[in-house]
Amino acid sequence: MRSGISIASNWRYFDFWLLGAVFLLIIFGVTMISSAIAGNIELVELNLVQRQLIFALAGTVLMLIVAAIDYRLWASISRPMYVITILLLATLYIVGSALYGSARWFDTGVILIQPSEIAKIVLIMILADFFTRNMERMGNLVWIGRSFLTTMGITIWILLQPNLSTAIVMLVLWFTMLWASGLRLQHLLMFVIGAITLPLVAFPFLVDYQQRRVLNFLFPDPNASYGEIYNIQQALIAIGSGGLLGQGYGHGTQVQLRFLKVRWSDFIFSAMAQEFGFVGIVLVMGVIVFVILRCLRAARLASDSFGALLAVGVATMIAFQTIVNIGVNLNLMPATGLTLPFVSYGGSSLLSILIGIGLVQSVVLRHRQLEF
Amino acid sequence: MTHGQSTIRNEVQYWRILAFVVALGLIFSLFIARLFVLQIMQTVDWTAKAEENSTEEINIPSLRGIIYDRNGVILAENEAAYNVVITAANLPDDDGAIQEIYRQLSRLIGVPVNLNKISPENPYVPCISEHGIAQIAEYGESSTPYQPVAVKCDVDRRIAMMVKEKSVDWPGVDIEIQALREYPTGSLTASLVGFLGPVPAALEDFYVEQGLVPNRDKVGYAGIELQYQDVLAGVNGRRVVQTDVAGQELRDVQPPISARPGLSLQLTIDARLQRAAEDILKTEMDDWNRHFGDLRYTSGVVIAANPKTGEILAMVSYPSYENNRMARLIPAYYYNQLVNDPTNPLLNHAVGDVLPAGSVFKLTTAMGALNEGVVTPDQIISTPPEIEVTERYYANDPGQARKFVDWNKAGFGHLDFVHGLANSSNVYFYKLGGGYKDEIPNGGLGICRLKTYAAGLGYGDAAGIYLPDEEDGLLPDPTWKRINQSESWSSGDTYIASVGQGYVLATPVQVLYSAMIVANDGKFIQPTLIRQVIDSNGEVVPMWRNADGDLIREPAPGSFQVSPFEPHLKWDLTVDPLIQEFGETTIRGCEPILGQTKTVQPWVFDVIKQGMRLAVTSGTLERQFENATVLAAGKTGTAEYCDKYANARNLCIPGSWPTHAWTIGYAPFDNPEIAVVAYVYNGGEGASVAGPIIRRTMEAYFELKNIDSGTVQAQ
Repeated sequence: MRSGISIASNWRYFDFWLLGAVFLLIIFGVTMISSAIAGNIELVELNLVQRQLIFALAGTVLMLIVAAIDYRLWASISRPMYVITILLLATLYIVGSALYGSARWFDTGVILIQPSEIAKIVLIMILADFFTRNMERMGNLVWIGRSFLTTMGITIWILLQPNLSTAIVMLVLWFTMLWASGLRLQHLLMFVIGAITLPLVAFPFLVDYQQRRVLNFLFPDPNASYGEIYNIQQALIAIGSGGLLGQGYGHGTQVQLRFLKVRWSDFIFSAMAQEFGFVGIVLVMGVIVFVILRCLRAARLASDSFGALLAVGVATMIAFQTIVNIGVNLNLMPATGLTLPFVSYGGSSLLSILIGIGLVQSVVLRHRQLEF
Repeated sequence: MTHGQSTIRNEVQYWRILAFVVALGLIFSLFIARLFVLQIMQTVDWTAKAEENSTEEINIPSLRGIIYDRNGVILAENEAAYNVVITAANLPDDDGAIQEIYRQLSRLIGVPVNLNKISPENPYVPCISEHGIAQIAEYGESSTPYQPVAVKCDVDRRIAMMVKEKSVDWPGVDIEIQALREYPTGSLTASLVGFLGPVPAALEDFYVEQGLVPNRDKVGYAGIELQYQDVLAGVNGRRVVQTDVAGQELRDVQPPISARPGLSLQLTIDARLQRAAEDILKTEMDDWNRHFGDLRYTSGVVIAANPKTGEILAMVSYPSYENNRMARLIPAYYYNQLVNDPTNPLLNHAVGDVLPAGSVFKLTTAMGALNEGVVTPDQIISTPPEIEVTERYYANDPGQARKFVDWNKAGFGHLDFVHGLANSSNVYFYKLGGGYKDEIPNGGLGICRLKTYAAGLGYGDAAGIYLPDEEDGLLPDPTWKRINQSESWSSGDTYIASVGQGYVLATPVQVLYSAMIVANDGKFIQPTLIRQVIDSNGEVVPMWRNADGDLIREPAPGSFQVSPFEPHLKWDLTVDPLIQEFGETTIRGCEPILGQTKTVQPWVFDVIKQGMRLAVTSGTLERQFENATVLAAGKTGTAEYCDKYANARNLCIPGSWPTHAWTIGYAPFDNPEIAVVAYVYNGGEGASVAGPIIRRTMEAYFELKNIDSGTVQAQ
C-alpha cells in the first residue's frame, strides 16, 4: 500500500447487532442439539453440546482476534496463503485418512480439522484481493477466466476429496464476488446458460452416490419409503407435523424418537420446525437473514473494495449454505452435506464461519465515516 | 471532502449488493411459502404420518378356555411353554462377552452358536427353522433390536430355570413364557376334543377381523376346539403404544384394552366311562384278533348316552390320534401318516362316518310296520331260509326272480313279531318291508313309509350334536335313485332297505339315536355334548342355542337352553305328527299327501322294546348277555359292505361280502338310563364282537354310578 492514509480502527463501530444475532443463533443451535440428542446414550456420551459450546467459545475468541487485525493484512499475504492452502489440500488428498468415505479431515490428535472449511475463508480473501486489484478488467472474459482458474486452484482438491457441496460453495463464492466486482450483464446471461447446461454434461462424471442422490431427488421412487428417500421423508414429516406452533421443545416425536436422522446437524432445521413450528422456524430464518444483511451492510460501509468484497464473500458463504441446507430439508434440492450455519453441530464449520464474522467486524471497525 | 486513491475507494456498486438482497428475499419467500404449505396447510396429513411412525398397535393374546368332562376332569388346558429368547439391544457391548454368552448358552440348550445363515431362501421362522444362536441374534438386532427373538422353543422347566438364573450374568438372554394347549387325556378324547393349528391362509381375513394374529394365535382345527372356537377363544386385547425408531415401547397412547379370556366348556362326557369304553373296544378287538391270529379288527366306535336327557357320556372313535403332538406345530410326517392311514384316525367316525347300518335298522321297519298295521304283533309269519321274489323296476315289469336269504341258513320256521325282532330274522323283515304274496299284501311298508319312519328315529339328517364332522347319512327313495344312480327304484331295493342294507347309510351316532328314541318311548331328547359354559371366574354362563345352531347369551325365539344343561325334547313321535302319509307309491317316486301326518301309537314302542329285551334273554344277544346283572335290551346288526379297502383285499365276493358288526342296547330295559352303540369295522357277525362291548360298557356305567353314589368304594 503506497497510500499514507491509514484508517484507524474504531471499536465504537463494532457491530453489536451482528454479534447479538450470531450469539442468538448459536444459543438456539446448542439448545436444539441438546434436545435432538436427548435419549440417545451414545450421542450424549459424545458430549456434543459441550463440544459445540467449546467451539463457540473458541470461535468467538478467534472472531475478536480477526476483528482486531486490520483486514488489509490478508490482502498482503494472500499469495503465500494461496500456496500453503493448496499444499495443505493436496497433502490431505494424497495422505488423507478416510472418514465417512472421503478424505475430508485432518486429525490433529485433539480435534478433527476440516481443511475445506478453512479453504473457504482463504478463498474469500484471495478472491477479494484478486478482484480488488483487477476490478476494472472484469469486463474482460480473459480476466474472468483467470479469476476462475485461481478459484479452481483450490477447488479442484476439494472436488477430488470428493466433496461436491463445498466445491459448489466455492464456485458460488467466486461467482458472487465476480458479480459484485462488476460482471457484465451479457456475461451473466452467458454464465446462466452455462450453469443450466453444465450439470447435464457433468452428470455422467459424478461419483455413484452423488448420481443416486440427484436421481432420488428428481425421481423419488414412491415405493421406496424406507430406502434412499427415507431421511428426506422423515424430515418432511417432522416439518409438516410441527404445525403453526410446534410440538414443543423436547417433545417432537420425530426428534425424540429418533426417526429423523442426523437431526443435530444436517436436519436440525427439520428438528426445529417440528418442535417450534412455523412461527419458530420463520423466526430463526429471520435471524439468519438479518446476519446476512448485516454482512452486506458492512460491504456497503467498507472503506475500500477489498473490505467490501470480503464482506460480500462472507455473506455469500452464510447465505448459500443456509439456502442449500433449508432447500434440502424442504425437499426443494437434492441431499447434500451442507449444514445450517451457526445452528448445526459441527466444530470446523462453526469456527470458519465465526472467523468470517470476524473479518466482517474488522471491515466495519475500519470503515470510513461518510463526511458531508 | 477527501479524494482517495482508487485502490482505497470502495468501488463495489451498491445496486449489485441490492440485487443480492433481492435474490435473497425471493429465495426466502419461497422457503416461507413452502413452510406454509407443509406446516399450515398439510399439517394434518403430516401429523398423521408422524403418529403412524411412532405408534404401534400391540395385540394382547387372550387365554383360551378350558375343556372339562362332566366331573371336572380336564380334557384341554393351557400349559406354560418356556422359550429361550434373546433381546439384541440388551446384549453386552463387548463382542467377546457376547461370544462367551453364546458359547455357554449353546452348551446349556444344545443349539449351535453358528449354523445356517439366515437368508430369503432359508428364513428365520420362530421355533421351526434351524439356525445358530449368533445368526438368530444378528437377525433380531437388524430387524427388531428391542423385541425378543426365540432361539429355542419349549425347553423343559429345569433348563428354563437355569437360563433364568443365568440371565443376570447374560444380559439380553431371557425366558419367555407362552401358553401352549395341552390335552391331559390325549388320544382318548382327541377325536372329540380335536386340536389347534395356525390360522389357515384361506380364513386369514376372517380371523384377523376377529382380532387374531396369524402365526401367533391358534384356532381349532377339529372337534370341540373347532366347533366352539368362538366361545373358547375369548377376545384379544389391544394396546396402542408409542415406540421409538428401534421399536422400543415407551408408553401407552390410548387406555389399553385388556384381553378377555375365553369361556370354558364342561362336556357331558365322563372321562372314566370314555376310558372304559375305549379299553373295552380295544381288548375285545385284540381278543378276537388273537383268536383269528390275524389283525382283522382294527377300528370301531362306542358311544354311550342317557336316552332320558340326551347327554352323550362317552364317544370313542378308535383309533384316534395324539393331539398333544400337534400342540406347537402340526408335524408334516405325522399328519401325512394320519391322512394315509386306512382307518382314517383324523375323522370322528362316531358322527362322521356313513355306513350301512344293517339289522339295527330293522327297528325302523318294525316301528313302521306295526304302526301302519302291515303286521300285528301276534301275526305269525313263515320265515324259511330264503324267499324268492320278483324284482320289478316298474309297475308292469314282468321282472326277474331274485332270492333273498336269511342269515340263519336253517331258517326260523314261523315267527311272531317279538321273536322276529329278537332273532333278527331277515325274511321276516323282508316281508314286512317289501310285502310278500298274500301273507303281507300291498307291498308291505314300502320305501316311502320306511323313509318317514326312519327319519322319525333320527336317520337321514344330522340331529345337531354340533361336531364339525357330523354327517347326515342317507335315506334313499325312488327320486334319489333316479337322480343319483340313473336307475328306477326296484322292488328288490325296498327289501334290501328294510334290513338296513343297500343304499341306506347312517352314522354310528344316528344308530344310537334310534335306540335312545325307542328306549324313551318315542321321545327324542336333543343329543348334546355340552353340559355347561363356565367363565374365567368359575361362574356358569347361561347360554342358549338358536335355530342356526349358534350359542347365544340371551334366549331368542326358537332357541333352547344349553348352559346350564337342561334336557330339551327334540320331538315325541307319540305326540308330534311327524309321520308323513303317502298317496299311491308309483315309479314316479314318493308322493306325500300334503298336510296328512300322524303320530306313532305308544303301544308300538312297548312291543319293540319287548322284542329287544327278548333279543337279550333268548335272541341274538343271549350268549353275550349270559348271567348279566344288567337288565338290558338290545339289537344286533351285521352290515354287509364293500369299500375300497375290502375291494383291494379281494373280500368283496358276491353273496358273501365282508360285514361290519353293530349292536345297540339300553338298560335297564324297564327304565332306561343308558343307551350304547358299538360298531366294529369289518367286525363280522354283529353280536359276537359288538355285543360284549355294549354289555361291558353298560356294566362299566353302572359300576361308575355305584362308585359315585357311594354304594361301592372306588379301588
